[in-house]
Amino acid sequence: MGATAATAGRRLATDPITPALAFGGAALLAVAARSQPLAWASLAGLAGYSLSGSV
Amino acid sequence: MWRHQGRFEGVLGLFMAGLALGGVLSASVAWLLGGLLQPLPRGVRVVALLAAAVVVGLHELGVLHLRLPSTHRQVPREVFDRGPYASALQFGVELGTGVRTYLPSAVPYVLLAALLLLQPSLAAALLAGASFGGLGRAAMALSRTASADPEDWDALLRRRLALVRPAAAATAALLCLTLAT
Repeated sequence: MGATAATAGRRLATDPITPALAFGGAALLAVAARSQPLAWASLAGLAGYSLSGSV
Repeated sequence: MWRHQGRFEGVLGLFMAGLALGGVLSASVAWLLGGLLQPLPRGVRVVALLAAAVVVGLHELGVLHLRLPSTHRQVPREVFDRGPYASALQFGVELGTGVRTYLPSAVPYVLLAALLLLQPSLAAALLAGASFGGLGRAAMALSRTASADPEDWDALLRRRLALVRPAAAATAALLCLTLAT
């Protein structure tokens, strides 16, 4: 049970969609709070993550 | 290989530092070049930025097919001939710049346009650069490394990117609106 939950947690934490959701959430927070630093950080984070797969 | 030689944490740390440094380098250049556009009225620059964000969004949705300039190559394998630490740092810097390998997404062009056209404070530009490399590009490496099966992760990434890239473009346009107003 514990091992299954840990495995599921690891799969969720390392799913490639998770960083995108984190950056998207930060972006929505930046828009809602009108926070320029957070807006720059989330815009740049999204831009960088969108290049995933390119090495 | 390095994971099994007790060097992994140091190598990963240098790689992450290189990613952030590469992003800062690119953002600094963009910020400096943006100074050349300052004579343009702010209204013109804002309209240009929003237009660029919309065009990139249409490109990511497949409505438009732009041929944006990018390097059509991967980081060369010779980078890894310098030993684990120097190689990790150099590989990180090259990836972090965003200009030393091919660009599968146009969303970085929205960031570039924002830095060029909005001319934020230097601190904001450096934050953007560090976030591009040290957060955005690093997230892929960290997530893949931490996954149970990196090859499965690659396959899942290919499926997820079909959703992530258009969503990132739409979110980037919204952020540009926030930054410009």
